[in-house]
Amino acid sequence: MSILANKDTRVVIQGGQAGVNAARRMAEFCYLIKRPLNVEAFVYPPDAGKTNEIPYGSGLIAIPVYKSIAEATKHHPTLNTSLVYIGADRAMKGGMEALDDSHIKVVSMITEGVPEKDAKILGAHARKLGKVFNGPSSIGIISAGACRLGVIGGAFDNLVLSKLYREGSFGVITKSGGLSNEIIWICSQFADGITTAIGIGGDAYPGTDYVSYLEMFENDPQTKAVVIVGEMGGDLEERAAEWYGAKKRRVKLIAVVSGFCQESLPKGMKFGHAGAKEGMKGEGSARSKSDALKKAGALVPPTFGALGPAIKETYQELLKSGQVKAPVEPATLPRLPKTVEEAMRADEVMVAPLIRTTISDDRGDEPCYDGYPASELINKGYEIPHIIGLLWDKRLISKQEAEIIKRIMMLSADHGPCVSGAYATILAACAGIGLSQSVAAGMIMIGPRFGGAVTDAGRFFKYAVDNKMSVDEFLAYMKKNHGPVPGIGHRVKSLRNPDKRVKELVGYVKSLKIKTPCLDFALEVEKITSVKKDNLILNVDGTMAAVLVDIGFPVDSLNGFFILSRTIGLIGHWVDQKRQDSRLVRLFDYLVNYAAPKRREVPPLK
Amino acid sequence: MAKVLEGPGMGLMKKWGITVPNYVVVTSVDELTRLGQANEWLKKSKLVAKAHEALGSRFKLGLVKIDLDFKAAEAATKEMIGRQVGSITVTQVIVSEMIPHKEEYYCAVKSTREGSEILVANCGGIEVESNWDRVKRLCLEIGQAPSPESLEKLSKEAGFSGALVKKMAEFAGKMFACFDSEDAQYLEVNPVVLRAADEELVALDAVTLLDGDAKFRHPDWNFAFAAEFGRAYSKQEVEVMAVDSKIKGSVKFIEIPGGDTAMLPAGGGASVYYSDAVVARGGKLANYAEYSGDPPDWAVEVLTEKVCSLPGIRNIIVGGAIANFTDVKKTFGGIINGFRKAKSEGKLKNVKIWVRRGGPREKEGLDAMRALKDEGFDINVFDRNTPLTDIVDKALQAK
Repeated sequence: MSILANKDTRVVIQGGQAGVNAARRMAEFCYLIKRPLNVEAFVYPPDAGKTNEIPYGSGLIAIPVYKSIAEATKHHPTLNTSLVYIGADRAMKGGMEALDDSHIKVVSMITEGVPEKDAKILGAHARKLGKVFNGPSSIGIISAGACRLGVIGGAFDNLVLSKLYREGSFGVITKSGGLSNEIIWICSQFADGITTAIGIGGDAYPGTDYVSYLEMFENDPQTKAVVIVGEMGGDLEERAAEWYGAKKRRVKLIAVVSGFCQESLPKGMKFGHAGAKEGMKGEGSARSKSDALKKAGALVPPTFGALGPAIKETYQELLKSGQVKAPVEPATLPRLPKTVEEAMRADEVMVAPLIRTTISDDRGDEPCYDGYPASELINKGYEIPHIIGLLWDKRLISKQEAEIIKRIMMLSADHGPCVSGAYATILAACAGIGLSQSVAAGMIMIGPRFGGAVTDAGRFFKYAVDNKMSVDEFLAYMKKNHGPVPGIGHRVKSLRNPDKRVKELVGYVKSLKIKTPCLDFALEVEKITSVKKDNLILNVDGTMAAVLVDIGFPVDSLNGFFILSRTIGLIGHWVDQKRQDSRLVRLFDYLVNYAAPKRREVPPLK
Repeated sequence: MAKVLEGPGMGLMKKWGITVPNYVVVTSVDELTRLGQANEWLKKSKLVAKAHEALGSRFKLGLVKIDLDFKAAEAATKEMIGRQVGSITVTQVIVSEMIPHKEEYYCAVKSTREGSEILVANCGGIEVESNWDRVKRLCLEIGQAPSPESLEKLSKEAGFSGALVKKMAEFAGKMFACFDSEDAQYLEVNPVVLRAADEELVALDAVTLLDGDAKFRHPDWNFAFAAEFGRAYSKQEVEVMAVDSKIKGSVKFIEIPGGDTAMLPAGGGASVYYSDAVVARGGKLANYAEYSGDPPDWAVEVLTEKVCSLPGIRNIIVGGAIANFTDVKKTFGGIINGFRKAKSEGKLKNVKIWVRRGGPREKEGLDAMRALKDEGFDINVFDRNTPLTDIVDKALQAK
């Protein structure tokens, strides 16, 4: 048996993320004791209509979220307990809502920092209705082998170590959340464990006090002794002493009280829980509480450290008198399934990776590019072209190569608003589309006719050089197999109106005295083609392609240089339009040749 | 509980219809001089000047001056402002009118488990302290307001007669209204005096304790709460409070000058048991500290730095019970960072560190603490199998 929380307890949790976390802990306990999850519903208006996914074993259980307690109990008429995880400013309203629902018999409030007046109102209201209001600031309630309300009991391993999977003989009542776990652990090590442990919260006026719970424990035949962990301040311990001393009680009472340090502290210096304050006239001191409890016949060890032996002594007496029998431990206990990460750390599973990467890793404190930490690259003077070299070709390029790439990017960054890419981005920007989509609209234009010929140009020039073709052989090969030579020809520029970008780039690369077989070949090709037609010159795509192949970049990466460079321009166009607050653009009729059939009658549908 | 200084305390009483003397709170003599030009009563009445700080025994310290004319009040203000008392510098002076009176009474409202209690006595000042049996009480349940009849009954029981019965009843009723509406935990007026001029009851001196947790529904609480232990918060304490107000969970820190055992325990319950253990073993606490509710590691790091900076410490007690949900690895990570920082600043020389803890990821956390040995820390680490406060015994026995 147990008190307050048992196998029939069905829970609604009022609140958001904190409540979901509690439900997860509760599900771990349910899994340990092989019972279905005791949380049936959440009440949290912002998420009403959704579900919260609670892991149970290796699966997930979807728990519905409602907008009110009434709605939750309508759908789940077996609900009888509510846990309140709502902020201090709204906690009273939430607590009242739960108390006022006829289904709910126990309300436990976890919220800290609830105004004293609100706590008193809630406590009084519960007493009037004959219900239990526990808390505020309560860590929760746990009945071994039966029911967990809140996070009390801690992590799964601790539940097992503290033998919470089966009933013992000791009841526990504490103000402190952390100490509740400590006492549960002590009861499991020095005795046979607990029946029910209750955190009543460390506020000055908890909704339900020691006496009410002592009375419940007294009426629970399984509970043979109760451990109280008290604190200075208030008179709850004195009331407990009074209750215990009033008549012969069935349960044994063991109690410790904290706050003796106050006696040797500077006057007026107080600390600990909100409720741990001595009264104006010195009442409520640790000593007066401790004395009162002793006088009433409770076992009061002098220090917290002596609590274990005191519990052990009590347990031995109970064993000797035959009131309790040594517990039988179950042969096996469910083990909480590990997450994949945990199982991998323990070398228990092997996972086939889904993707493979060979260029970068940011699992440490900073990204590494091809193994080099980004900050070190920065500090040693490397620049963006080097990062391109590492991520696109997995090598640290030379200073000279970096300079070439930098110049290529500078020359290709933008080419005015009229080209397909920029125009598409501007149209999108004028239609009010966001940055990434507008830039993507421009990107989509990059292809065989605009900016996307770099890769192909590089591929074919390289093919010719690798196969030691003459220009004539190459042109014949291209004509037969592929058509026009990519990288040759310009819409506007010609021999008489040369592309200055090409001149600039060729001039620079030539000045470096490096071997440039592809570039040389491309220039030879231009000599022939431009004779045939004035505008069949080596264009900027073709020049970039030849140079990049010459400095060793893989053919498949070549379009990337244009895409990357032009992105700078596309972003510029988008920002430019945005800055001007440009309006929607529409083609004028006179810019369209309407060649569609004239208006005519639609024939009847057959 | 949050203590409120006299000025804002009287302001709250005035708000609920209790007659209080005229008063001004000033931060300089110039301000008082200008106020004197604006308020006739300052020139006409006899005045009282008091240091407006959270200080006990102000009278003995010469920080209360009575029966002053305006010139003398200016002189008193000049003398008090800037005076240093312990760690407190007087920055404000409250100047109020003296109320000529013959009789002194007592009235208070205090919080009880059931609701509240109204206390009335027909003596006041120090007389009521030595005649506590003359205080009569009216107990009220939460949600219950006192009826005029019950207040008059209380007034009579306390020995008031004639016109004073009703006056005192009304005064107590207003005190209750203030208490109940302002989320007070304790209101005390001692003395309540009968003003000679108009036979009206006036609140001469007030103790006001408010429920700091209810601040969210009192937008007009625009005053700072005063430290409750008769001294101002230190810079370090204020810094920890600033962190505490920003985070989930909490960190707390109070310095106790002269101690040699520094505390860095977890949890509001366990931390007091640790302090008890130190005192029981004859140790001297250098501070109180606590972290709880799974605070972020950086907050615990700040707290650790403050603890490590305490002068003259020989032991640091990093104690804690078995946590429910505070991540031991993460919070210990903050403590470890704090320790490393302190060591790099030349602190922690000849300081022994004692650790005991359990809870989520306890093994990883304790292992990380143990590893500090290799970095040259004098650290002793224990797990849940060592009873809670045994590390204090070990620390104070170690030579």
